[in-house]
Amino acid sequence: MRARGIPGARPTGLGKIRTRLLAGAMIAARPPVELALTAALRRTARLQPDVFSRLSMVGDGAFLIAPSELPVAFQLTPRARTGRVRVVRRDDPGPFIARISGPLMDLLGLFDGTLDADSAFFSRRIDVTGDTGAVLALHNALEAAELSMADLLGLPTGGRALARKGLAALLRGVSRAAPVEG
Amino acid sequence: MGSVELVCPAGSPAMLRAAVEAGADSVYCGLRDETNARNFPGLNFSPDELAGAVDWAHDRGARVLVAINTFARAGATDAWLASVDTAVKAGADAIIAADLAVLAYARDAHPGARLHLSVQAAAGTADAIAFYAEAYQVKRVVLPRVLSAPEIAGLIRETSVEVEAFVFGGLCVMAEGRCALSSYATGRSPNLSGVCSPPEAVTFDRADGMLTPRLAGLAIDRLGADEPAGYPTLCKGRFEAGDDPAYLFEDPVSLNAMGLLKSLRAAGVKAVKIEGRQRGKAYVARVASAFRAAIDALDRGEDTTRFEALLSDLAEGGRETAGAYNKKWR
Repeated sequence: MRARGIPGARPTGLGKIRTRLLAGAMIAARPPVELALTAALRRTARLQPDVFSRLSMVGDGAFLIAPSELPVAFQLTPRARTGRVRVVRRDDPGPFIARISGPLMDLLGLFDGTLDADSAFFSRRIDVTGDTGAVLALHNALEAAELSMADLLGLPTGGRALARKGLAALLRGVSRAAPVEG
Repeated sequence: MGSVELVCPAGSPAMLRAAVEAGADSVYCGLRDETNARNFPGLNFSPDELAGAVDWAHDRGARVLVAINTFARAGATDAWLASVDTAVKAGADAIIAADLAVLAYARDAHPGARLHLSVQAAAGTADAIAFYAEAYQVKRVVLPRVLSAPEIAGLIRETSVEVEAFVFGGLCVMAEGRCALSSYATGRSPNLSGVCSPPEAVTFDRADGMLTPRLAGLAIDRLGADEPAGYPTLCKGRFEAGDDPAYLFEDPVSLNAMGLLKSLRAAGVKAVKIEGRQRGKAYVARVASAFRAAIDALDRGEDTTRFEALLSDLAEGGRETAGAYNKKWR
């Protein structure tokens, strides 16, 4: 599978090498990220079990959340008790029922409901492949959940604004450091 | 509430709260089944969520209108009747319905329930509205989106039923309640199953830099890299007639009649409605906020032009229209 990048971000040969090195480094460092994200998913399941009733049609299928700027993607299996998040190589992600890709900040905006998903899709900022029904179910479940970046990081309510700003800054830094494959 | 009631969509309790906090006077929503015309996966309310949302809205002076507006299947009306009972039990301020059996059941089983006639009934004449008012004690009609502003004014002069008109959101080319186009490709239609272009039948293919939306395998458009996309409905597909690909039925545009608020209010429109229960919190917060500001400005005697371009980026296909409200043909 060939990774798709954001417009105007076609890397040079050296850029491709950097991308592969970065992907290797991120894959090597994935266990704590996977643990944290999986814990956040299961915490959400405990706090908001109704969210998962909106995903009943998805079954055991996994979503691939693929930020355009990163050489890795997130494989999300949204089950109530046994859900998990894995970090996978963008160009070798394993099985998924649907893939949602786009700029990282837009994907985070979809996660916390601050970005209108339809507008992002209409304007081609967000790209969807695979089972459209499953993608809609995930979108609607996230909409109903009222999640924030603080939930993703497992922070208390008081730290939410700080968490959003801090995570956004961190992710922007990662994005700048990570050229995509053309 | 201003001189015109602002009615906004909610596909979840979170979206309902976002709508009210952004200035909606009323919110409409549906239960999570085929009894409403936005039966998309993961969308809508459970009975418990509806009851909680009604309490929350009432505490803030907002009203909740429950759409039970698909057409009941002959011989299998239980789900629709149960939805009426659920809405009444939850304390809904009105039920929005189109099917005669649903209206009759609500009238007989819950005599105190307020009934609004759904746009799905396509009641666009004084005679049609009078029939629903006399037979089912309907208190409000949601007009089909095929009438011009002068036609609405003429209609209101002939009826005592409150009139609600769509002013923003997705636009159907068909007379509401009578479109079966989706079912020819997928077996399901908005009027019967509550879903137009069911998402399980929708796919997007990519090849040679082009995006091809398909419905049940049928290609209905072919888009270049920078062309805005829309949700793939057959009525907004681009097809070849002769050698020219064109949007034969309807361009993928969205309704924005904010510029006609003053005319609609002068015509006697009681409530204006925003489409889009499937859109989400960010959408409804922006649209409700903009229309709240415009209605309030109107009530202060101010011009509303400055609000009209605030929502352009939310439009399907990236383009807006005032639809039939400004039509010059007959």
